[in-house]
Amino acid sequence: MNSISRQHIYLMVASMLLLIFVLIFSFLVLIPEGKEYRIKRVELKKTSREFRDYSNFHYETEDILKDLRSKNRRVITAFDATFSPDRFERENKGYFSQLRVSSLSEPTLESGFGIYEVNTTSQISSPKSFYDFLDGINKSEYVIAINFPINFKRDSEIIKSSFTMKVYCNNRDTNATALESKKK
Amino acid sequence: MKYSYITPKKKSVFTQEFQLLLSFFTITILMLLLTYSFLLYKNYTFIQDKQALSLEKTQLQESLLVMEKDIAYIEKQKMLSETIYTKNIVLKDSIANLFDLVPLRITLSEAQLLKNGLILYGITPNKDVYNFMLQAPLRSIFHRTYSSFYPAKNGWYRFVSTNYIDEEEEEVEADE
Repeated sequence: MNSISRQHIYLMVASMLLLIFVLIFSFLVLIPEGKEYRIKRVELKKTSREFRDYSNFHYETEDILKDLRSKNRRVITAFDATFSPDRFERENKGYFSQLRVSSLSEPTLESGFGIYEVNTTSQISSPKSFYDFLDGINKSEYVIAINFPINFKRDSEIIKSSFTMKVYCNNRDTNATALESKKK
Repeated sequence: MKYSYITPKKKSVFTQEFQLLLSFFTITILMLLLTYSFLLYKNYTFIQDKQALSLEKTQLQESLLVMEKDIAYIEKQKMLSETIYTKNIVLKDSIANLFDLVPLRITLSEAQLLKNGLILYGITPNKDVYNFMLQAPLRSIFHRTYSSFYPAKNGWYRFVSTNYIDEEEEEVEADE
């Protein structure tokens, strides 16, 4: 009877060792890494999907902002404009026989906006001029509210009028972020 | 004394079978290592990609926050400007209505428009004209109306008409 040769024993031992190595490597290293790969792939897909959705929302918001800016360009510019009494007098001279605007007061804060109070004295030939002025002021380059009290006093053929105007502008401290982003 | 005609070879452990087995396992281990490297590489790129996406998302979040602030601020500007423009138009209409209210026979010399009132100074041919043609419509607009007359040199009457709207009553009316 042939006994197992030494060569065969070596062969068997080597096979067993290699097989054990392969199994241990597979089960302890490869399979956990594979599982991790699967988990990470799913996570990345989820993150990508979330990012895509978020990105779409970002673009939509950007479109809304652009649209809002283009539709309200005049108002935005008006709030950003610095009121100049001289310029205002020049621009609205046409409505009055005489117009005098007092210099700006210190701005007060109201609902996040700076407000300058300006006293105005003027002379008009008829109330129609004042109506035209009120129509014109809504199209001016500033946001101006005509404030009470308003006085009209007849002086022979002319009407002397005096009233207060509130000029609204951006409050640069509280709205610094919005202003910065607007400039971008 | 020789028993064989060939010279004996020294026996090696690395027989052909052993070499075959080794090459088989080498290929197997190589494939396993390659797979492992691939997995390591992919896991690394997944982490990198995820980090990059998170970073971009954070940047988008910041940008979105700024945009939302801007949108809110522009909406606020828009609302405020619309309110102001509407008030100016209402004011214009109120002044126009006031001057339309004054009959031709009465001449105003001064008008003071207050936040909740109106003071008129003028001249009327007689008290009845004033009472029927100016005071009556003023009474329908204002809650409190006071009038005083002073005789003028030409026999007419100078008048001062003081009219007020009570804000509390106005609020109640608005609630109703």
